[in-house]
Amino acid sequence: MRLTSFLLSKANKKLGDVSKKFANFPDEYIARSMEQLHWRTPRAPQYSDKTIERKKFRFTTNRPWTAQFYQQNMPGTIRKKVFVEPIPPEQWMYFRGDRVEVLVGKDKGKQGIVNQVIQERNWVIVEGLNTHLRAVGADKTFPGILIQSEAPLLVTNQVKLIDPVDLLSTEVEWRFTEEGERVRVSKRTGRIIPIPSLHEETKDYKSKSLYVVREKDTEAAVVSEITFKPKLATFEMEIMESMGIEEDRIPKKTYWY
Amino acid sequence: MSFYSFLNVAKRVTISCPHLCRRILLNNHVKEINVGKHLFSSKPEDVTTKLMGFFDNKKNWGENEVKHGRNWTLPELRIKSNQDLHKLWFVLLKERNMLLTMEHECKRDHRLFPSPERLDKVKISMENLETVVKERNKAYHELETGETGQRPEEVRPNLFQIPERYRSKEYPLPAHLNKDFTVRKLLVKRRIFRDFLRKYREQDLIAKKRARNRDRNEVIHLLKRNPDLDKQMLQEKYPTVDIPMLEKKDKFRGHYVPKL
Repeated sequence: MRLTSFLLSKANKKLGDVSKKFANFPDEYIARSMEQLHWRTPRAPQYSDKTIERKKFRFTTNRPWTAQFYQQNMPGTIRKKVFVEPIPPEQWMYFRGDRVEVLVGKDKGKQGIVNQVIQERNWVIVEGLNTHLRAVGADKTFPGILIQSEAPLLVTNQVKLIDPVDLLSTEVEWRFTEEGERVRVSKRTGRIIPIPSLHEETKDYKSKSLYVVREKDTEAAVVSEITFKPKLATFEMEIMESMGIEEDRIPKKTYWY
Repeated sequence: MSFYSFLNVAKRVTISCPHLCRRILLNNHVKEINVGKHLFSSKPEDVTTKLMGFFDNKKNWGENEVKHGRNWTLPELRIKSNQDLHKLWFVLLKERNMLLTMEHECKRDHRLFPSPERLDKVKISMENLETVVKERNKAYHELETGETGQRPEEVRPNLFQIPERYRSKEYPLPAHLNKDFTVRKLLVKRRIFRDFLRKYREQDLIAKKRARNRDRNEVIHLLKRNPDLDKQMLQEKYPTVDIPMLEKKDKFRGHYVPKL
């Protein structure tokens, strides 16, 4: 296990895997960008290891690595706690690209495609549904431009997945196929609801096969090439040999304690 | 950034090489690696081009985002030869130096440092690479000597009898002959020492008690809001909370007559 993975803050662990997926950032970066550190003891033997940092964050539709998130969680401000119904991460059912039916609001009964998942609040955002008008750029002389923005919906009781067979909403559960693959199955018809390809998409690529190789990337063929040959030598010994460095001095005996 | 500060950066890089490189430098067998010396012997235009290695490609300056790939993973590094890993380390080191320089430069110039996650990806790659090298060395030492060959460490009581990770140090003499090495003992009265430990443990107990209370309140509020919540799942998530007892005590029902 990497050293830095121990240092990830507790708040970062609350972030769901599904909601982190699209941004394709390493966890270390997310932890670093949402960290609000007030005090950390110097790394010296006379100090016990203590950190004072913000632990309570309000998660919203703004992602933790953005400036808006920082603005909503300004240092020195405390926001009222939101009680989120716990859903075990392995029981999470909604992914980007899923077709769902909205059960509440002015778009009740309509179907739409999930285009964002915010797991830490049990939210999904359905494209073009459950919207409100928002004035952008308003000031004293100008009323602003109205734009439509989607409000998030709770996955627990405000949306329902659609069965692809009859395009009607259904209860869904996780089951295993005979090949041992974990799939979502409609409880009503028993059909598998496949995880949409949109779930694979990140901001860097549509799907892994469609990734465009960039300037500093190593080619896939070079990455998968096996160049390791087992040899009875340490890393240092092998490198010294290949560089023609000869070391014939015998080190003096030392003691570790 | 002035020319002299460039040179300082260059020298610093030579010194901050990984342990492996440092060992080679100390042995004085390889003199070409000394970057600083190399710089002085070159022509002025060569120096500029080499120093520009500390900066990103010019087309990325002032961009909002620099498109890039992901970090090297452990399985990918395990199939690479030691020579490849050695080369890759210096590629990553150069990249890290470049990114840190760019970050510093952007900060100095009040500009946005594009795609700062690159730094984390390089760091993860370097950590993974070190892990692989350690694995290989461990395997060699275990096969040849039966020991890991790593710096010995253990959990042992510290000055205050609190268990702590202790990493051994290397000495030229065994412990009983080494006058410089003395087992540190606390030269204070026993009572003060005992009082300190009592308060230290009390802090720990208070923290645990607070965590228990926090969990209990969380469960109360969750059940207040969602009465149909799966109690078994809740019990697994908050194992210290006695949910049947909470139900008996009417903690989450509210102080009103239920509507029937």
